[in-house]
Amino acid sequence: MQFDGTVLIVDDEPHIRKYIGLILRKLGTPTIVEAANGEEALVAFDQHQPDLVLMDVNMPVMDGLQALERLNVDHPEALVVMLTSLATRNVVERCLELGAVNFVRKDTPKETMTKVLSETIAEHFAPD
Amino acid sequence: MVPLPDSNISPQRIDLTGRRILVVEDDRMNARIISSILRPGGFVTQEADSGEAALALYRDFQPDLILLDVVMPGINGYETCRQLKTDPAAAGIPVIFITAKNQPEDIVAGLEAGGVDYVVKPFQPLEMLARIRTHLQLRALLEDQTHLIADLSKANAAKNHFLGIAAHDLRNPLTSIRGLSEFMLEGSTGELTEDQRAMLRSVYSATQSMLELLGELLDISIIESGEMRLDLTPTNFADIVHDAVFLNGITAARKQMKITCRPFKPSRPLLIDARKIREVIDNLLSNAIKFSPPGTTITVELSEDGNQQTISVQDQGPGIPPDEMNMLFQSFGKTSARPTGGEKSTGLGLAICRKIVEAHGGTVSAANRENGGADFRATLTAPDHAV
Repeated sequence: MQFDGTVLIVDDEPHIRKYIGLILRKLGTPTIVEAANGEEALVAFDQHQPDLVLMDVNMPVMDGLQALERLNVDHPEALVVMLTSLATRNVVERCLELGAVNFVRKDTPKETMTKVLSETIAEHFAPD
Repeated sequence: MVPLPDSNISPQRIDLTGRRILVVEDDRMNARIISSILRPGGFVTQEADSGEAALALYRDFQPDLILLDVVMPGINGYETCRQLKTDPAAAGIPVIFITAKNQPEDIVAGLEAGGVDYVVKPFQPLEMLARIRTHLQLRALLEDQTHLIADLSKANAAKNHFLGIAAHDLRNPLTSIRGLSEFMLEGSTGELTEDQRAMLRSVYSATQSMLELLGELLDISIIESGEMRLDLTPTNFADIVHDAVFLNGITAARKQMKITCRPFKPSRPLLIDARKIREVIDNLLSNAIKFSPPGTTITVELSEDGNQQTISVQDQGPGIPPDEMNMLFQSFGKTSARPTGGEKSTGLGLAICRKIVEAHGGTVSAANRENGGADFRATLTAPDHAV
């Protein structure tokens, strides 16, 4: 896999953004943009038009579900994978309803997380 | 009337001063005598001269206990009691019958009508007071218990909520610590010395076991708060067991242990949440591995009896001390048994197993085997109709 797109990582915890960024770099040489909450994410999306958004659910200011809902209206083409630390069925269903393409628990072991992200990317960025 | 001495019947000494007693008696003289016995004991009384009058005024008076004559004009005492007990707000008020009838069938009729006790006329004041105190104390204790249970379940809900939040908030930083240490171990930040590598491996494995503990804490808090939902699908029980046996066999091999399981074909599928039941089987197997000495064999047996299917996991470990048997399936019910290979045990695994199996309408049990070792079982019931 060689993925060189732009990815927006949205999480209020910098160490998580760092960790997720390292995982993405295993998949290629992506351009990584970061945001610390939903509001920043919407601004960053307009500015960078990322190919992929990885978004936390629980964040201050504007949470991931609200941001996902807005993205889905303003940019229905946005490719969003939700990240969370607690996957109750309610949250998962809500994310998928609002247009997320996938859902990963952050504490998923690194190898599995890498695999899920690489599969999601492969599925949506098939070489022509 | 001479004030009566305190009967002092209860070691608990609940203060009954000010308790309200409704005296229902058509003979006004009798009613007054009863009141005069009760008032010096610190009770507040109200008199009613018929069953109808009692039914009309008990809501306003709010008695803690009712003394009820049986033979009265209008509706009698039994009928009054029966009607009173149809009001949920009054159902808990103890009713003591005062009756000249002392035949067993009369007494039984009174108890069947909802009374808790009876006093035979002509009554002994001391005996009547003692009986009243006993029933008031029982009621007070019952109320205390009810409040206590309500308080405890609130506290338990708060604990689960707290556990959930704590586990949730700790998960993120631990995930990063584990993930980032993994990247460093892989050399993402440059070559490491052997010492650095060893330290990072400790960081990694300590974080890993904390994440496992948090996972179990979250499981238990979700399960205990009643939010566990089952995704029921028709599943071949033997398939999940054989899968689990295969994968746990790899862990067992590291301790030179073996898991054996004879092939088994159940006659029908079970309607279960396969992922959760798999968690139960994994738990039973990993416990057997943890608590058995290296070199031993774990025997897994599947059996079917009518519509019930049972997995039995038998180990050759030290068995369960009899006095710890009842702690096994409780949250944090860690027993004195210690893992034999330095593994971690949170004391939550079996509690989670029990909750999951019981949510399926099944049962879990544990016993010691005759020749040593423990035998853990989970039994699930197949639906009667075909699936």
